[in-house]
Amino acid sequence: MVKTERMHAGAAEPIPGSAWLIGVLAWFIPGLGHLMQNRWGRGLLMGGAVWLSFIIGFAMGGHMFDLNAPEGSSQILQVPPMIGNLGTGALYIVSWLLGYGFADDPQQAARATYEYGNMLLLLAGLLNYLTMLDAFDIAVGRKS
Amino acid sequence: MMALWAALAAVVFGAMTKDTTQERVIYGFKVFAEFMVIGLVLAWVLYFIPWS
Repeated sequence: MVKTERMHAGAAEPIPGSAWLIGVLAWFIPGLGHLMQNRWGRGLLMGGAVWLSFIIGFAMGGHMFDLNAPEGSSQILQVPPMIGNLGTGALYIVSWLLGYGFADDPQQAARATYEYGNMLLLLAGLLNYLTMLDAFDIAVGRKS
Repeated sequence: MMALWAALAAVVFGAMTKDTTQERVIYGFKVFAEFMVIGLVLAWVLYFIPWS
């Protein structure tokens, strides 16, 4: 069979519910999806990269985005970085519930590492989306 | 900082692609190098743009 025919032939199988659960848990706690499937190396590497990026981002004075737009800015502009930050799952949710890491403080913004922190926090979220998709693919059987 | 950003991204990209550990490590280094090179090239391009 040609490669595309093999791909379409494989695509007819239903995706097990456990794969969706693993995907959601992988989003919620970075690295958990791989650890649940005994992929310790990948889980620690990929999840560790996400956690490290998140912690260093905060340590550098970065902040995350929610729908509260600062004065003079539009709420729509907050949505893309918010989606990026949301990738960290529970890390974002817990920070939001505690009210920590969302303030756009001028003193914080004056730090030399402020923008680096913002980028690392965004990176954490985006990398966790990839991590989540990788865990899902393993659960479905597309990857070993 | 750019190197840290590139390293974290390279770890994830390397871990999720390829089949063997050796291929993953090589790909991770490749991704790291690509991020660094592209970042430096962009930095120099932006440096010469007259912003003010």
